[in-house]
Amino acid sequence: MPPKITRRNFLKIATLGAGATILAGCANPRRWVTLEPYVRPPEEQLAGVATWYASACRMCPAGCGIIVRIMNGRALKIEGNPEHPLNQGKLCARGQAGLQLLYNPDRLNTPVTQSSRGSHQFKAIAWEEGINTLFEKLQGAGDQVAVLGGSSMSGHLYDILGRLTGAIGASPPVIYDPLVSMNGYTALKDVDMALFGKAALPTYDLGNADIVISFGADLLGPGLSQVRYGIEYGKFRSGRLGQRGYLVQLEPHMSLTGAKADLWLPVQPGMEGLVAQAIIDLIASQSFASPDPLRLERAKLFAGPVDLNKTAAATGISPTELLHLAHIFAEAEHPLAIPGGGLSGLPDANASLTAVQALNFIVAMAAGGTGGMSLSPEAQLSKLVVKPQPSSFIDMLALLGKMKAGVVKVLLVVGSNPVYELPLQAGLAEALAKVPYVVSFAPIVDETAAQADLILPDRTYLESWGYDVLSPAFDLPVVSSQQPVVTPLFDARSAADVLLTVAKGIPAAAKALSWTDEVAFLKEVIGGLPAGVATGAGGVIWERYLQHGGWWPAATAALQAAPAGEKLKPQPLQLAAPQFQGDAGQYPFFLHLYVSSLLSDGRGANLPWLQASPDPLTTGSWQTLVEINPATAQKIGVVDGEVVRVASPYGEIEGYIYTYPAMRPDTVAIATGQGHTDYGRYASQHGSNSLLLVGAQPAWASVRVNVTSTGRKGKLSIFEWKLGVEEGFPNQSFPGG
Amino acid sequence: MRLKTVSPAGWRIIVVIVVILVVATAAILLFVTQARAAPEQPIAFNHQVMGQLGIQCLYCHNTARESPAAGMPSLAKCMGCHKVIDPTNPVIKEVVAYWDNQQPIPWVRVNVMPRFVFFSHEVHVNGGVNCEACHGDVAHMTVDRPVVRMNMGWCLDCHEKQPNASQLMDCVICHR
Repeated sequence: MPPKITRRNFLKIATLGAGATILAGCANPRRWVTLEPYVRPPEEQLAGVATWYASACRMCPAGCGIIVRIMNGRALKIEGNPEHPLNQGKLCARGQAGLQLLYNPDRLNTPVTQSSRGSHQFKAIAWEEGINTLFEKLQGAGDQVAVLGGSSMSGHLYDILGRLTGAIGASPPVIYDPLVSMNGYTALKDVDMALFGKAALPTYDLGNADIVISFGADLLGPGLSQVRYGIEYGKFRSGRLGQRGYLVQLEPHMSLTGAKADLWLPVQPGMEGLVAQAIIDLIASQSFASPDPLRLERAKLFAGPVDLNKTAAATGISPTELLHLAHIFAEAEHPLAIPGGGLSGLPDANASLTAVQALNFIVAMAAGGTGGMSLSPEAQLSKLVVKPQPSSFIDMLALLGKMKAGVVKVLLVVGSNPVYELPLQAGLAEALAKVPYVVSFAPIVDETAAQADLILPDRTYLESWGYDVLSPAFDLPVVSSQQPVVTPLFDARSAADVLLTVAKGIPAAAKALSWTDEVAFLKEVIGGLPAGVATGAGGVIWERYLQHGGWWPAATAALQAAPAGEKLKPQPLQLAAPQFQGDAGQYPFFLHLYVSSLLSDGRGANLPWLQASPDPLTTGSWQTLVEINPATAQKIGVVDGEVVRVASPYGEIEGYIYTYPAMRPDTVAIATGQGHTDYGRYASQHGSNSLLLVGAQPAWASVRVNVTSTGRKGKLSIFEWKLGVEEGFPNQSFPGG
Repeated sequence: MRLKTVSPAGWRIIVVIVVILVVATAAILLFVTQARAAPEQPIAFNHQVMGQLGIQCLYCHNTARESPAAGMPSLAKCMGCHKVIDPTNPVIKEVVAYWDNQQPIPWVRVNVMPRFVFFSHEVHVNGGVNCEACHGDVAHMTVDRPVVRMNMGWCLDCHEKQPNASQLMDCVICHR
């Protein structure tokens, strides 16, 4: 019989245990730490002293300059490059998280082949074998080769891919990912071409503007250049003594920019263009005391018959508010109108964008002036350095058509993940099935790489070469330099080097691509630039270009003013209410799809820092939140944390209800980025892919959805609860709701 | 008259107190000795041999004059000599084995400074402090072991004797 545990015995045992623990603790040399000295030390490293290397960020297409802190050959911290004219030493959360791409445990260590697509039965092969296979396939395919790339690809890789496809007679690379369409790159260029006679992306001199009307542009979010607009916003608010800029934000769901606006107007989705049209019409018809009388004249060029009350009813913005907007815009010294990327996803995208850009047109900034819209100046460099040219969704569909027709024998996928990103209806699965050989250059097996026959893992941006021509580039044309800041951690090889090697064996390509490696290629291209700040007086000294993080001219270069357009003949605006996809009875809500501040279009989902960082507005992480107004939640009988099914005419996803007071009751808002099935352990099996709700057409922002409860309830992974926030919004009902 | 004796319960209390005292003393002694004992190294590196041959500390710990860290020699540095010198010695064979595998030797740090202390070898060595002043007579040790308890009192003992003591006694000199 075991001894009975009395109080006394218990105390004895406890005392003995404590004594033993103390003794064990003393004997254990827990304070000893192991050192890891170099086997072969690099010359420039000094133990205990950090080395900083300048490079370019590749976490989004903006192209900020970064400096990376290196200790004993390990990258420890990424900061903004203080010398860089774009981000001026600042960096966003996504840029900081780039380290986790470098150290990601899911990176491929060798090239692999896959016997049957999607099986995940990868077989490691040697690099020689991988390169030889690619060569054989390319040689056998002749001109039936297609290239699909992503928007944050290095310029030199795009250049090499372009030369390669050009030499073998294939069509040029298609650059498409959700950031291309959701930022409206191609649509904006088309509109600027028609209005200003120049196909360039607009940049907005927010810092010198006094009135800004943003039509759903999330400038402080993951839009065109989050860091630079953050700096500009600071100047706009407090950069000028005694003058504070006034920001109006029109959007159905409050974004980070909306949360900072002076006036937030919940416009009905898709009606932003009508608001712009009404403002122009009011400027033309009312006699405002504008500092520039020509502004009123120019407004007349665009003004059409607008019924103010009808517009108010359609847009959800009252006649008084419309008049207020027209009044402040007409009378401001430096007014600015900014179209959001969402406008490019409307059926009449060009009409809506034109209506907003027409507001900038009537302001007609003088050459060299400040405070308005200008056209990005990188076009000055177009003959010297190449920048990936984003393709439209139509181009993407054309590529899919070619694949389906069986005229693509080899598909190269570089820095893009179409299996995750494209709507199901686009038919990528059938198209891929018709392509005999798919090669992916993904460093981590993503959804597309899982459908590839051969994966030749590229190096991550912290271990590879490149450059980025900024677009939009604000006041200066800038080339950010990208260099390896650490020796490669995995046995990955640069895609550009692999292609240059392969090209050696194809006679036509060998002629077009005679460089030994990518560095030789880069040196030649960059060497062709004129002298810039910090790159040496006579021309570009390569080492200085790398040391300072890029090339840019002295800051006095004149802004590319949006021309007043005497030669162009503006037409009166013709806008109609956009047709949304889906029957209003069956799908009662508008879908407001927005780019996640952290995960971006999904490319950041494999980094735990970004997954775990709370969203700036909902404070949610790791999950897909279905945001609806509390009043709507009450009406359809769902509560916070309830798992709901959101269905559109094209697909359905599940997500957690999050009641969000700062949005229209007729709208459902979902961020992009979650719901990966591959792409590493941190990305897969979290949330749902909201891009599946969109159909196979360019109009991604005009979809209707319905919301039904699954009856299940989950816990919201949010950082802060909404106490106090909801009290401030006592189920306020918005016009149009 | 009866002599007052200790009751059995009293004896037990005395025994418990004695046991506690013994355990505590043993713990303290063990802590003190362990703190000064040499950690176990992957290779029993003999500093004494190097010292006798007249090799300076800075030959191997070469960043002590220009960096906060004194630096551990790279394996390439070891092999620079031992490719030729005494390669058949069993201990040196262990070094060669690491070199053949191109793996660093996982040396164990002997003198540990807490993370909240900023210490720079550079200023001390350039200021004329000998290595021996803190690390002891390593040139006469076989395997290196800590000789001084590098606590704050010991640091300040020297700092306050310096001509610029008023600066060196400032908290933020080390705690920054």
